[in-house]
Amino acid sequence: MGPRSNSSSLEACLRDVVGADQVLTRLEELFVYEADGLTHHSARPRAVVLPSTTEEVVRVVKACRKHEVPFVPRGAGTGLSGGALALADGVIIECARMNRILRVEPGDRFAVVQPGVVNADLSKAVLQHGLFYAPDPSSQQACTLGGNVAENSGGPHTLKYGTTTNHVLALELVLPDGNVVRLGSPTGWPAGYDLVGAVVGSEGTLGIVTEVTVRLAPIPERTETLLGIFPDVVSACRAVGAIIRSGLVPAAMEIVDRRTIEAVEASVYAAGLPTDAGAVLIMELDGPDVAVGVQAERTQALALAEGANEVQVARDEEERQRFWRARKGAFGAMGRLAPDLYVNDAVVPRRKLPEILEAVCAIGDRHGLRLSNVFHAGDGNLHPNISFDRRDADELARVQKAGAEILRLCVEAGGVISGEHGIGTEKRDYMGLVFSDDDLDAMKKLRAAFDPTLTCNPGKLFPTTRFCFEANPKARGYDQVPLE
Amino acid sequence: MSVLAALRRELGEDRVGSSPGLDGRVFPRSGEELATALRLLAAGEASAIVRGSGSWDALGHPMPRARILLETTGLLGEVEVDAEDGVAHLPAGALVFSLSEHVRKETGGAWELPFDPVSPSSTLGGCLATASPGFCFGHPRDVVLGLEIVLATGERVRCGGRVVKNVTGYDLAKLYLGSLGTLGVIEAAWIRLLPAPEKTGCWWVPAADPSLAVEPARLPSARAAAWLSAGLARELSKPGPGMLLELAGDAAAVAADAEHLVCQNGATASDPTGLGVVRGMRGGDPGGRVRVSARPSQLAESVAGLSRAGAEILAHPARGLFWAFSADEAVFAAAERAGEGFLVEAAPLAIRESRELFGENPELRPLQAAIKAQYDPAGILNPGRFAGRI
Repeated sequence: MGPRSNSSSLEACLRDVVGADQVLTRLEELFVYEADGLTHHSARPRAVVLPSTTEEVVRVVKACRKHEVPFVPRGAGTGLSGGALALADGVIIECARMNRILRVEPGDRFAVVQPGVVNADLSKAVLQHGLFYAPDPSSQQACTLGGNVAENSGGPHTLKYGTTTNHVLALELVLPDGNVVRLGSPTGWPAGYDLVGAVVGSEGTLGIVTEVTVRLAPIPERTETLLGIFPDVVSACRAVGAIIRSGLVPAAMEIVDRRTIEAVEASVYAAGLPTDAGAVLIMELDGPDVAVGVQAERTQALALAEGANEVQVARDEEERQRFWRARKGAFGAMGRLAPDLYVNDAVVPRRKLPEILEAVCAIGDRHGLRLSNVFHAGDGNLHPNISFDRRDADELARVQKAGAEILRLCVEAGGVISGEHGIGTEKRDYMGLVFSDDDLDAMKKLRAAFDPTLTCNPGKLFPTTRFCFEANPKARGYDQVPLE
Repeated sequence: MSVLAALRRELGEDRVGSSPGLDGRVFPRSGEELATALRLLAAGEASAIVRGSGSWDALGHPMPRARILLETTGLLGEVEVDAEDGVAHLPAGALVFSLSEHVRKETGGAWELPFDPVSPSSTLGGCLATASPGFCFGHPRDVVLGLEIVLATGERVRCGGRVVKNVTGYDLAKLYLGSLGTLGVIEAAWIRLLPAPEKTGCWWVPAADPSLAVEPARLPSARAAAWLSAGLARELSKPGPGMLLELAGDAAAVAADAEHLVCQNGATASDPTGLGVVRGMRGGDPGGRVRVSARPSQLAESVAGLSRAGAEILAHPARGLFWAFSADEAVFAAAERAGEGFLVEAAPLAIRESRELFGENPELRPLQAAIKAQYDPAGILNPGRFAGRI
């Protein structure tokens, strides 16, 4: 924790600009904001502000700048890489109250929303027009669109529909200096530099998004959901390769391994999965009525040819939901196993999945950890989950060691260290596995153009260099604050 | 020593030549050579016009400060097609047509390269640097997974990667795409391939105005869609305004959509070579052409206004894009008000010198200029060409 000088005058200033009921400073209030979904990284903010309008965000940003205090945008706090932590005794700008859907234009297939709108609520709101918002992170019942923009969130259906960046057309952004700019347009064809593309996935380091224009997609005419039951995770991975090689682009292909099935079946999310199965593969196809049935038959045949014991086809929406419960309830079910869950997130070329999966499990076993896998197989996006207890220092150290080994393994296979959760504080020191110093410098140039004083969400995404920080504690470096 | 002399010494005589109206031309054949060239240009504070095959020479403001032509057609490094994962690593200098052929062959016809360039001589680097929208495949931003770039100071850097899902660091590829070579020179790219359609077919859909073409252009298997005003339709020997529509995908879906087109829209089967003609209309230097992005619901009104001003129109109804063909400043001014944004793609020199060609929001100028200053502090790359003459 850094120094707390000047605290009272900043707090007074914040209350002045947004009203006392929108500023949280009591210890018990701040506890809630110490961490996001990555519970073993934490930092207590100096204050939390809950603005309701763009103008209030501007005033908060200007107040923070005046007091030389960094600030961090935050949505629902479901992030899994420590991206919403207020390092350096910073202020959290919590956008949950900016939760209005401002405009829906069904004919032009876009909607304009505030950043605090919950992902799933948008699809519910546009259902009446036969439209939906495609990116569906597993946390979609809670996560906000502002957070999705910051992290370029994915989800099970990105295989066909792409991630958040493919669906954001325009943004209103409060720049780190307090100026407001509008990027992009509802048609999605930028004429200058593609700043929407640069801001999506920038983890809240380039400014605070206060309005998002998103593309809406027509609800497919027909959806078929299949559940393949496999003797082991490797044959399930092979089936994924065979299906894609055949030219099919399913909307989703998700694998749940045996260890996860066991946890799910012992929980309230129980979906009636056979607990002796090595893995299940959820395959979802959507599109025109005339095409999807044939595609589902082809998919089923390919899964069986690759060794599935059985392939069930959902007969109705209820059964479809049951298949998905095993996938979407997996994280919740993990709560039965241990107090903490570390959800790793790495990507490998799809065809390397079988060998990587075996190696990942071996790493977990070698460190004596409870590791299970539930992941977006179609994208090659792994989520090795490690159940642990952070109060056990030795176990925590083994979790971190295993996590690092998994990342190294994935990068060596031609992959990357994050597919959808971001870098945040969790992986900032592993960026060097993927990128050279020159590559990272090119990223810092973008950061410097938006935020030359590095006041907006410092300490994220870029590797720390503690030496520089210690030599010059006032340096507003990328390394601003070591996370302790 | 002059920059050209330094380039000759470092890269060899055969990499440097003359160029009419300019001091010279440099022609690197690898990423290393490109990096060397840029380092020497930066050291000599010599600005360059970056160019692939020249399909888009007419795009952007004139660049009187740039005295050297930097040609990228020699960047023909490693080609890798991964048929299993549906991705390819492709060099910027290669022709898109030959890369498409290569991808088809390497994957046994299973995958295709998602670009439809404006001319047979278009390079991949040109397609990416201009981010020119295609008729089949839309914006390159959705298929570029990673880029290798040489910055103005000569550093060779990477962003993104070969995997289809990736949030490791900033998505700089989006920033470089469409930046017209003003932030760096693209050396190679990782591209996401698309599965080749099982069946394709081409249809002519008569439609008096483009708003009538929005619904058919949104059919699930509609891929390329080009609405043509009467004057352009005549080039395809069609009697009046209407849309050339390519259906592609699953055979059953294509058949169902074709039936819908015939019954609901009075469509007739058409010769697919027309698509090549339309593709050509988007490129070259027709005297004047402005690209307008307009919401589908704005299309009819916007297009009618520009037609009245004398422009011929080519539109992609569902993508919210159209092009007005005219060399008249009055048409460019009308286009500026017609939609959500515009880009003058080709215009007489006097207009390129005098008016703002990029319809980007003026309040963004300081930010755009700050970005340019970060990536190209000495103003080496295409100085003055981009939005706001940065």
